[in-house]
Amino acid sequence: MKQGTRFWGIWMVLLLVAALLLFHPHAGAAQVTDSGWLITGFIHDKQGTAVQGAQVVLLAKGVAAPLAETVTQPDGRFTLVLVERPSSDLSIAVTREHFKEADLPLDAAASQTLLDSGSLFLPEITLLRRVSLSFWIATLVFVGMLILIALGKLHNTLAALLSATVLFAFSYLGRPISQELYIFDFSGALKYVDWNVIFLVMGMMIIIATVERTGIFQWLAFSAYKLSGGRIWLLMPILMLIASIASAFLDNVTTMLLMTPITIQIALAMDINPLVLLMPAVLASNVAGISTLVGTPTNILIGSYGKISFNNFLTNLTPGVILALLGLILYTEYIYREELRPEQKEGVSNILMKRLAERARITEPAHLMKAGVVGAGMLILFITGEHFHLLPAVTALMGATALLVWIRPNIEEMIEAVDWTTLVFFIALFIVVGAVQEVGLISFIADGISRLIGENLILAVLAVMWLSALLSTVIANIPFTAAMLPVIGYLTATVPGAQSKVLFYSLSVGSAMGGNGSLIGASANMVTSGIAERAGYPITYTQFMKKGLPALFITVTLASLWLILRFIVLHNSGV
Amino acid sequence: MSGIVCAIRGGPASRPTIDKAIELASKRGLVLYFLYVVNIDFLDHTIRSRVQTISQQMQQMGEFIILSAQATAQTKGIEAQGLVRHGRVTDEIPKLCHEIQADYLVVGRPKFHQEESHFTQTLLADFIKRVEEQTGAKVVLSEPTET
Repeated sequence: MKQGTRFWGIWMVLLLVAALLLFHPHAGAAQVTDSGWLITGFIHDKQGTAVQGAQVVLLAKGVAAPLAETVTQPDGRFTLVLVERPSSDLSIAVTREHFKEADLPLDAAASQTLLDSGSLFLPEITLLRRVSLSFWIATLVFVGMLILIALGKLHNTLAALLSATVLFAFSYLGRPISQELYIFDFSGALKYVDWNVIFLVMGMMIIIATVERTGIFQWLAFSAYKLSGGRIWLLMPILMLIASIASAFLDNVTTMLLMTPITIQIALAMDINPLVLLMPAVLASNVAGISTLVGTPTNILIGSYGKISFNNFLTNLTPGVILALLGLILYTEYIYREELRPEQKEGVSNILMKRLAERARITEPAHLMKAGVVGAGMLILFITGEHFHLLPAVTALMGATALLVWIRPNIEEMIEAVDWTTLVFFIALFIVVGAVQEVGLISFIADGISRLIGENLILAVLAVMWLSALLSTVIANIPFTAAMLPVIGYLTATVPGAQSKVLFYSLSVGSAMGGNGSLIGASANMVTSGIAERAGYPITYTQFMKKGLPALFITVTLASLWLILRFIVLHNSGV
Repeated sequence: MSGIVCAIRGGPASRPTIDKAIELASKRGLVLYFLYVVNIDFLDHTIRSRVQTISQQMQQMGEFIILSAQATAQTKGIEAQGLVRHGRVTDEIPKLCHEIQADYLVVGRPKFHQEESHFTQTLLADFIKRVEEQTGAKVVLSEPTET
């Protein structure tokens, strides 16, 4: 009995509450009465990139104070909360540095929806870029940095640091003078720094510092000589393959730094011009570096920005690299055909070869074995890591730390072996590129390229690849790649079919293989030429270009064919 | 101590210098010292963190270039010494000449139209004057070959 009374009592209370809610004057807004009336929207730029930090204000006609205000989130979304019932004559004002102010009146239907339902979802709002004084400042600083790096007037790191400092000086010291001088604040600038890249590069540097001291490169190069039986036409491609495989896992500069001296010695012992072996090796190194995520700094940048995994690079780019490498081997065999003839050389010096054989040995076999075990473990984690969201930077740090703990080297020496100047360069570079992104230069470039390309994916692939290849012959490919990433991101989102990320691979190919076009196109070229010059075999700018530029055309053409086949022909045929 | 210092860099451009030094050593009966100077200034705009590794590699390459010159001298009946130094070429040559109290310094005359040349005509004349005044060694220039 008691239980039945309680049951009916509860029901009565519930019915009473329901009736009260039903007959309340703002019953439709019941869902929002606790927090007020809600207006939600999404703000992006012309390229569809979310605009963070935009000030959104709801105004009512005849009322000076805003009814509600908020700031957009990193994903560009915002929600205005009104605590009082709004009138019907409303408008939304959006302001953000480097954008034109937007004033959006709510039409009668939208206002009515808000009043009736208590919430309103606005259509997407596009903020248009504004060319301000800060736009020109950031653009000039960025171009100035590229020129300083290209001319070699300042160290790369110093050029990037100087540029970042100038940007901050304008933002902080210029703002009190004019708001037009403001670019971004310190915390805003740091948001552009990709720490995944920094830690991945740092981890790989520690691994490389351990490997380079083991004598593996000297041993490999001399083994190549023995394997070739002294036949230069065979030795040349074997050295190219060694340079390629090494470059796929280590950076190209390290590969050539360690391979060049021993290659020169082999050539001298064989009484041949070392450039016959060096030029093909450095060309191969520049081509093959992009076959893995960790092979080049540009791939690390691209992989991190485009969310492209180690496996993606292996499956989508490595076959194209192999194709380009085959073309390069045939090309170098052809251009050096005179030098490769056996009768051209006087003979092998036994004294020199004996000395080489004494030196070309593994100097630290235990360290090499441990580095091999850790390297294999890292490779497994790079390949499988994406299945459990393991970032490549974390894998590299884990590998580097494991190796340091296992080997217990002089930690001071190992820390010194980390190229801190390069890491600082990356940080400063991210800030400078962030500035041109912030002021809208990248958006204008993306918009221009997009208009030229239209919706033609093949044209987009070819344009990105060849433009980056040709520009990389004259400007440093790391800042270029960093600046191009948002552009490629936009094209990937807008060009039909580009969602396969084919344009990121095109950028990777262009910026790396473009390095073969000129002596200053890649750091590996400069290192090789520097060492060769100190052995009495200088490589002039013209000499390099004569051999390198055709190599660029051959390898980029072959890689273009692969990407078109892989992402357009096979994709369209459903393979 | 006395002798002949022959500063070499390797490559075809060094061959006339080596020949000239061997010829002089044979004629005067003096000890011949081949000198190779390791200089890694070219890393200035690329990387500096691997100075130790690259210095070691360049040292080995220098020793190899010296060995090659020594082998050439040996075929002409001259037992030459070899030295590898680290630093600037224009500093290390006078230092060695002073250390061994060299009678002669043999260096190659650079081709002045070459962009890689360390010397201009004026700098070369100044360098010769400095070496001769500081060390007492007579400087002998070998002519470049057209390679």
